[in-house]
Amino acid sequence: MKKYIVKRIIYMIFVFLIVSVLMYLLYNLIPSDPARAELEGLKTSLRPAEYEQRYQNLREQMGLDDPILLRYARWMGFAPEKESGEFHGMLQGYFGYSNFFKKDVTEVLPVRMKNTMMINIFVTFLALAITIPLGIFCAVRKNGKFDNLVQFLTIIGYSVPIYIIALIFIWLFAVKLQWLPVSGMETPGSNYTGIQAVMDKIYYLTLPVLIMTFASLGGMTRYVRTAMIDALGMDYIRTARAKGLREKVVIYSHAWKNALLPVVTVIIGWFISIFSGSVIVETTFTLNGMGQVYYLALRNSDYELALATQMFYCAVSLIGQLIMDLSYGLVDPRVRVDK
Amino acid sequence: MKKKLLSMLLAAAMTVSLVACGTAPQEKTESSTASEASTEEVAEETAESRPNRLIYGSTTEISGDLGNAWWTNNATDKKIRDLINDYNVITFDQGGAMLVNSAVVDGEIESVENEDGSKTFTVKIKEGLTYNNGEAITAADYVAYALVAYSPATLEAAAGVVADSVVGAQAYQNGESNVISGLRLIDDYTYSITIVPEYLPYFYELSFVDLAPLYLPMYSPNATLVVKDDGEGVYLDGGELNADDVNASRFIYEGRVSAGPYQIKKLDTGTLQAELVLNPNYVGNFEGQMPSIETLVIVKTESATAIDSLKTGAVDILDTLTDGNLEINPALDLVDQGGFTYVDFERNGYGKLQFACDFGPTQFPAVRQAVAYLLDRNEFANQFCAGYGSVVDGPYGLCMWMYQDSQEFFADNIDSYSYDPAKAVELLEADGWVLNADGTEYSGTGTRYKEVTKEEAGTYALNVTLPDGRILMPLHIMWSSSEDNPVSELLVVMLANGQQTADAGMVIEQTVMSFTDLLNYMYRDASVDAKYGVPTYGMFNLATGFTQLYDQSYTYNMEEEYMGTYNNNFIKDEQLATLAWDMVFGVEAGDDTTYLDKWQQFMDRWNELLPDVPLYSNIYYTVHADWLEGYDQSSYWEFEDAVLYATIANAE
Repeated sequence: MKKYIVKRIIYMIFVFLIVSVLMYLLYNLIPSDPARAELEGLKTSLRPAEYEQRYQNLREQMGLDDPILLRYARWMGFAPEKESGEFHGMLQGYFGYSNFFKKDVTEVLPVRMKNTMMINIFVTFLALAITIPLGIFCAVRKNGKFDNLVQFLTIIGYSVPIYIIALIFIWLFAVKLQWLPVSGMETPGSNYTGIQAVMDKIYYLTLPVLIMTFASLGGMTRYVRTAMIDALGMDYIRTARAKGLREKVVIYSHAWKNALLPVVTVIIGWFISIFSGSVIVETTFTLNGMGQVYYLALRNSDYELALATQMFYCAVSLIGQLIMDLSYGLVDPRVRVDK
Repeated sequence: MKKKLLSMLLAAAMTVSLVACGTAPQEKTESSTASEASTEEVAEETAESRPNRLIYGSTTEISGDLGNAWWTNNATDKKIRDLINDYNVITFDQGGAMLVNSAVVDGEIESVENEDGSKTFTVKIKEGLTYNNGEAITAADYVAYALVAYSPATLEAAAGVVADSVVGAQAYQNGESNVISGLRLIDDYTYSITIVPEYLPYFYELSFVDLAPLYLPMYSPNATLVVKDDGEGVYLDGGELNADDVNASRFIYEGRVSAGPYQIKKLDTGTLQAELVLNPNYVGNFEGQMPSIETLVIVKTESATAIDSLKTGAVDILDTLTDGNLEINPALDLVDQGGFTYVDFERNGYGKLQFACDFGPTQFPAVRQAVAYLLDRNEFANQFCAGYGSVVDGPYGLCMWMYQDSQEFFADNIDSYSYDPAKAVELLEADGWVLNADGTEYSGTGTRYKEVTKEEAGTYALNVTLPDGRILMPLHIMWSSSEDNPVSELLVVMLANGQQTADAGMVIEQTVMSFTDLLNYMYRDASVDAKYGVPTYGMFNLATGFTQLYDQSYTYNMEEEYMGTYNNNFIKDEQLATLAWDMVFGVEAGDDTTYLDKWQQFMDRWNELLPDVPLYSNIYYTVHADWLEGYDQSSYWEFEDAVLYATIANAE
């Protein structure tokens, strides 16, 4: 097992490096001039000499005139910095500088990460709490009226884009009924503390959490249902029933455990996605999370921030894959992950 | 065992989530109840009083960079910065006119012309000004601004303020001297500043004199810096500035020392909100106006839901709405329903077709004029702005005092290039676009050609060289347009694919690209890629804007160093360049009559050469709750200025 994990980690590092090279090259292929973009808004108020000096300073500071491989090596921390001569890259924990926020990326991301995680934890637990029982219920009452209704609704939920769901929910709950706020993360100017602050936060997060939960119901419900239908069709279920076991025991103890194998990968995938923000929902609701910051970075040509965000996702995804593979072995002893 | 463990973990997760589900509705109910209760309270309060607070919805990010104008702040950060800082020596009034800030300056700013051509301005600061923390503001605080702005540390912090206008500032910035010889601290409340002769005379010369108070401890937390003047000029004593500290000053929120109408109570880049409260020590703007709204909350809103936010009371004001269909119409519907009102104002800028005037067909003024005649600009503006726009006929904004004072001149001298395809054809024929591709007389259909000289032909890729050596240029304009741009889409319909354009024998070939790419081609920025350095496109569509300082001296400068970056029309016209230069560098400050005369001559020449075709100038709308009274805004008088005069009806 240990040998397998070490092997996988080495493989992950290799993949991470390849992805980093590709991503870095890709971002640098974009024909942009971040220095000029930075100064564009000031141009009319600057004299030519002033503009040129600022422009050249920015190019120098951003290292835009250096060869791309050297810039990559610096960014990763394989090569020393131009001015300081020190190694100062991702390997040393420096993820770059955000031109938009005028701060190091490591200062920009934590607060966004916290916001995204907070929302996603709610969504994940809520969605699992609904989809697993619902999927099991539908599987047990396969082709019944309720099952057919759920199948119909989940197809709709699965097919409708989340931004449409968001707009409908906003119109209904925020504009029409005015039960919930249109957007934001706390009451403007509230300065609440303690339980009031928590309640306020919940009040503001309810609508986006509802939307994200609603949007994720379709897929998972159908997934659980299918896995359970497969499990319920097995011979050991017939045997269990023949033994005279109660139906609840048959379903939850025998069928569900065996249906877990395909479901567990999806569930773990969900938990891993706690770190990644939804660009659409976060942007629509002005939730200052990872999805929104990524979108912002791309819109403002803040490529170091976008790159860092993307590399973070890459790392999370690689680690997630490893955890998923290991979990197979935990759930099903027939799967040997150390080979 | 492992399987059991995982099952237990999953069960636990489900239990936790169930608990979460169980509590969520309860919390939601409580919250809803609280919300209902507060709604009732608000309803009760409405008749009597409401919080003395205004919530401003901003569609740009609050990134929290409150740095001085030495760096580039985004629109919302700049707004916050402007709300917490005032007391500049020079300011602008509602009409955009530059004036001495009488709240700050005691008497007039005295100026003396020196023998070497430089000019020394002496500024006496009023006594009694203080920062928000109560500490007195003196002349040293104003001088400190220059000492920090021009410092090598600030340059290192990527601010890059050019120090060439003040005598001795360049040497100070280069580290050759630790004093600014042209800046003198005369007494506690008086300083002088000397401007180099190269920048004089200048119509906006007071802009060189403009300084603001700067609280030194915020820029040097680890050293007690003091401004001194030993007779050679001012310098900082007690330590040295460093780039990190200067940079860090931009992000200080808690206890930030400032001197404006408001001060920061809270700025949270996590929740994208800033809360500003009145600065009790503020003495008023240049008119002595003090704000009355106690709290300003600036929150991030998304364009897509901004109107809903206004409707539901999540925000009280939406500033500078531009999109006629998506923003202005829904906002005006709200106004019609009651509870809201609006202020509209003209944009100080316009959307335009910009030409490269040094190669291809667009190097000929007749072609540029023909393009103008082929486009029904009034209809274009009407359609694009959904009725909330107008058309300008030159590089000006409708709110400029120069334009306001030139109505008669414009009526007599400025051609509005009203839609007239026949006139376009007439112009083209007069300019020599009378040939077919084989050199025969133009048949009346297809693309027109013109015989051009070798110089005129340049490297234009579509030229045809006939066997007899004649070079023909097709009336084929390569147009660079940005992607996902409704202006481009409308231009395709109304101009490029218009029957009138084909009938005139003109081809406008659109290439869609990212806006960054467009700029690269427009600037001919070979530093990004060599291909951009090659003149390729003759026409671009984009927008431009103006500030209070209307200075086009470099925009039409013919020297090579200005080509691309400033003169991105690549136009070389001696008369236009001279007028643009003389308009500001040939007029003494305060001589509005001469300035206006040159401005009009400049407009006349520009209108004839037509380096751009102005397409539309928006009418902006700011919509707000109707209990906000006395709020008036313009392109020159933005929210941060206007809010000082506004009040909240029945405020607590």
